[in-house]
Amino acid sequence: MNCLHDEQLQALADGEGTSADRAHAESCAACGARLRDRAALMASIETALNPPVDLPASFRLKADAAGEGATRLRGPFQRSRSFRLETEGTRRWIYSAAAIAAALVAVLFVVPAVRKDATTVSASEILAKSASQLSAVTHGVEVLEYELVLGGVPKDLMPDQVEGTYRIWQAIDHDVPGRFRFASYTSDGRMFSSIAEDPIARRRVAAFTSEGQDYRFDVTLPSGPRAMSLPEMQRLHMEASITMMQASGNQLVETIDGPNGKLYRIEVPRVAAPGANPVWDLSEARVLIDSRDYSIIEFAVQGSLLKSPYSLSYKQLRHVVGASLPADAFVVPTRPGEIVVTGEGSAVPTRDVVVLALRALAQAKQAR
Amino acid sequence: MQGSSEAVRELFQAHGTAIYRFATVLVRHREDAEDVVQETFVKLLRHLEAGGDMANVRGWLFTVAANAARDRQRRRGRWIPWEPAHDIAVPPPALDDEDGRVRRAREALRLLPDRDRQLLALRAQGLSYRDIASATGIQMVSVGRLLARAADRWAAAVRTHGGSGYELLARRTTPGAR
Repeated sequence: MNCLHDEQLQALADGEGTSADRAHAESCAACGARLRDRAALMASIETALNPPVDLPASFRLKADAAGEGATRLRGPFQRSRSFRLETEGTRRWIYSAAAIAAALVAVLFVVPAVRKDATTVSASEILAKSASQLSAVTHGVEVLEYELVLGGVPKDLMPDQVEGTYRIWQAIDHDVPGRFRFASYTSDGRMFSSIAEDPIARRRVAAFTSEGQDYRFDVTLPSGPRAMSLPEMQRLHMEASITMMQASGNQLVETIDGPNGKLYRIEVPRVAAPGANPVWDLSEARVLIDSRDYSIIEFAVQGSLLKSPYSLSYKQLRHVVGASLPADAFVVPTRPGEIVVTGEGSAVPTRDVVVLALRALAQAKQAR
Repeated sequence: MQGSSEAVRELFQAHGTAIYRFATVLVRHREDAEDVVQETFVKLLRHLEAGGDMANVRGWLFTVAANAARDRQRRRGRWIPWEPAHDIAVPPPALDDEDGRVRRAREALRLLPDRDRQLLALRAQGLSYRDIASATGIQMVSVGRLLARAADRWAAAVRTHGGSGYELLARRTTPGAR
């Protein structure tokens, strides 16, 4: 007889093998040793997975937990209101007919009534609330500071910042739609770029540094319908990412303790279907949400955009609503030695930079 | 109703702790394990009142408990208690674990696929291959093979999980063993 397969050894170790297999194990030294080995492993597993825990003395019949088909876990509020039965003396669970009947009545009639209040929340609901918070501020000046780490496509668009890590300061004037200023700083505190728009003054200023030279593009904004501003695009990206996370069926949500209170941590291992060849695919997404106001504290996505990998990580440092800022807060500061390019702008800031730079180059050549 | 509840009481005394222990290695929180036990025995009562089969009640109990534990873990992943802004309650406490063995076992278990976890936990409660097949929906002829793989994967998971000092898994290596 040939030596035993793992399956046969397993069956023997579990007391389910055939007499022929057992006879072989007794006569074959190698199989005998493997059987002892397997039996020892199973004994270890049995010991480890059969922990010496008994039903706690406080175990009681909790009617709310017996709801068949319930899809929600109980929270502290519901627990305090839950329907409980316990014995008078020992506090042990006793299955009396009355208790069971009462439990069933509670399950069928009491619990559904109690559960009319939403006492649990899903990852999708948290994400929805958080997404709605992105556009919740409608008045006053909102100031946000955050750390932004870019990878892949967005980082390639900003070649001067090799490490792709920025500290962003942004101010949005919700009383004047379209008025904002963004500024990015390197890790040593140097302003790397800034862009500001003022629809009333019809002016957009973008400043950045390339190969050590500072540039400033000062353009007039086109008349007519206002194009989407940078903050709006940023908000839409975050909303779209959250929507994709909501659409996923495998969100994982947990609460963790943050420095200022409880946070919701939601992870989505994969959003788009593999092999679906999507224009936009999130292979991984993670968001940390402040439970107090559903604001996004951290946000990280990884995926592909037009088949090119990209990643974005956002970590909020400061968020102030109704901030009082100095008058020049929405003005991009001038820097000594910067090259200033002026002209008429379009709805697309990056296009303006290219067109105006080429125009300035041509004018310089003609002037020679 | 009286006869059924009496039967449930006896079955609870006979199997309640085993079901609870089984649940503790599949779910993460004590309350979830208690809920699994409760749900299992409430369903048993309904089963008996409906004239359900009592031929293999132990297998039936573990089948229900396995499903309940799986459902609860799935819900735990997607739902968390609603907590108002001022509510700073923390998740339910983890299970008691005097010597860390349960924790390590569960940590290693979490690295395994659901089916492996169920197979090992059911076997650890002494269920026969027939009952395991019934509880998991696996064909009985496949139980041994799948159990062997699950056990190997669990042992590997414990080792990679820093199983030092975990004397239960101090396996003796056998030259020539497959």
